[in-house]
Amino acid sequence: MTAAPAPAAAPTVPGPRRGRRARSGVSEATRRQQARLGVLLVAPAVVLMSVFLVFPVLNAVYYVFVDFDGLDTTPPFVGLDNFTELARDRDMWAAAWNNVIWIVLGTIGPLVLGLAMALLLWGVRRGSTFYRVVFFLPYVLPQVAVGVVWGWIYAPTRGWLNRGLEAVGLGGLARGWLGDPHTALYAVLGTAIWTATGFVFVIVLAALRNVAAELVDAAMLDGASYLQRLRYVVLPQIMPVFLMVTALTLIGGFAVFDIVFVMTGGGPANATEVLGTYAYSNAFQLSRISYGTTLALVVTALAVPVAVWLNRLQRRASTEGLGA
Amino acid sequence: MSRRGRAYAPGRPGIGRHLTLALLALITLFPVVLVVSTTLKSTQDVRANPFGLFSSFSLENLDTAWTVGDFDSYLLNSVLLSVPSTLIVVVASTMAGYAFARLPFPGRTVAFYLVVFGLLVPFFAYMVPLYFQMRSMGLLDSLIGVNLVLATTQLSFGTWFMRAFFADLPTELEQAGRMDGASEWQLFRQVMVPLVTSGMGALAVFTFLQQWNNFLVPLLYMPGGGYRPLTLGLYLFIGGRSVDIGPLAAGTLITILPVVVLYVVLQRQVTAGFLSGAVKG
Repeated sequence: MTAAPAPAAAPTVPGPRRGRRARSGVSEATRRQQARLGVLLVAPAVVLMSVFLVFPVLNAVYYVFVDFDGLDTTPPFVGLDNFTELARDRDMWAAAWNNVIWIVLGTIGPLVLGLAMALLLWGVRRGSTFYRVVFFLPYVLPQVAVGVVWGWIYAPTRGWLNRGLEAVGLGGLARGWLGDPHTALYAVLGTAIWTATGFVFVIVLAALRNVAAELVDAAMLDGASYLQRLRYVVLPQIMPVFLMVTALTLIGGFAVFDIVFVMTGGGPANATEVLGTYAYSNAFQLSRISYGTTLALVVTALAVPVAVWLNRLQRRASTEGLGA
Repeated sequence: MSRRGRAYAPGRPGIGRHLTLALLALITLFPVVLVVSTTLKSTQDVRANPFGLFSSFSLENLDTAWTVGDFDSYLLNSVLLSVPSTLIVVVASTMAGYAFARLPFPGRTVAFYLVVFGLLVPFFAYMVPLYFQMRSMGLLDSLIGVNLVLATTQLSFGTWFMRAFFADLPTELEQAGRMDGASEWQLFRQVMVPLVTSGMGALAVFTFLQQWNNFLVPLLYMPGGGYRPLTLGLYLFIGGRSVDIGPLAAGTLITILPVVVLYVVLQRQVTAGFLSGAVKG
């Protein structure tokens, strides 16, 4: 425990050489004043986080081991029953599988599109601000509004997507995209990719600005093709940032909720149910509060390895001076 | 200058590249254009000619959403939920960020781990027990309670964000201030805070957008419907009967308009907020 404060305090010491000397030059009275002010300044944040974050998290851990119905003040202890039920729950596995599809496609889609768009804009000067603002816009919009609009686009008879398909002679594919269990998940995913692409795009574009132009020039003089330059010169330089975006998009995929909830509510016939919506409906619609909480905690725990990986990437990126 | 740009491109950015970008921008913007166009069409035109863009002009959809659809009160509630929670986040984060960056104080390690904990645990993990906690505290359907929850969801990030700004300031400032006889509080309030106002501004814009867009917190903790914000109002609007697309489009426009305006005007701050939120963690 004695070693613990060191890593936490380390990054906050302002300039390694000066800080040390300045601190030892500080008088005892000043130090006491600093301690008092420090406590006062963190107090509001600490109080809020204790009440509205730590306490409910501890409660969540408690809920997992009891069977709470929302009314019972002394819910019965059930041990690991919630977990064994979870393992046997077919609907849960169906939701988990949808979540896997979501995470895979919902990560690859924005990464590929965002990278392609960033490469496309890289080096373009005229209108570059306009494009940046436009491409990032979907990510800034409230997901509810996004869901509403895409609902019209996917609508069966008056939807723009079907209309567009007819216009190019693919009218046979027309359908109610959100009402058809075979397409609903992919339709919602399409909307999610539309919003997340701008996020990847902006971060990759910022990373591209730090790419050493001399190396790319040199590779071009050596006769490297576009793809070779991309593969051997450009991508390695933006890789740390690229991996970070990957991790962030992955983490977002685990706890996806808003967009699915608004567009389909998990339907039709559970075709778009993901762990987030399944946990919600268990806890708040079926009053299976302990079970819903268990699901929510499991979803969170699944994302932890990715979060740890992300943390490691960030630390490496900042030691290499790449932390944008 | 333009060397950097040209270096990678096979030649000058050609017409093909500009055309592709313009097409992509069009696709990206299309849903937003659809909202604006549908809002401004007449009710009859929306029904008869769903695929016409800007084919008529009328404010009746906006009027219906505003009066019949209750979007006037939703708008007010959105303000009542976003502005106070944003202020709490900016003030509390600036204070805590300074303490973590510059002050030695007892309990610092514990407090620091609390912040890191908040960065790692998503709202989703504890939303269910928080509902029952809010119920027993009498904070369901309360502006104060929901504002405090909204603020707490952004507090860890805010503290982290402001800490970085304070950590970058040179130590000479402190020493000079102390030699002039300033107290530690005066040092914070009169010397340090004025130097990080740009950071506070970026944090305010970013936090405001997050709170404005938040859907799950009011959905869960405003069950009575007394203070429904725009996001929740819009959701209930589609959930109800089969709605006319026209007023729904108008409601959507009212919901996104403040976001779009703020983003377009302050796009540098907004993007910077999202970038540092992501890249620095």
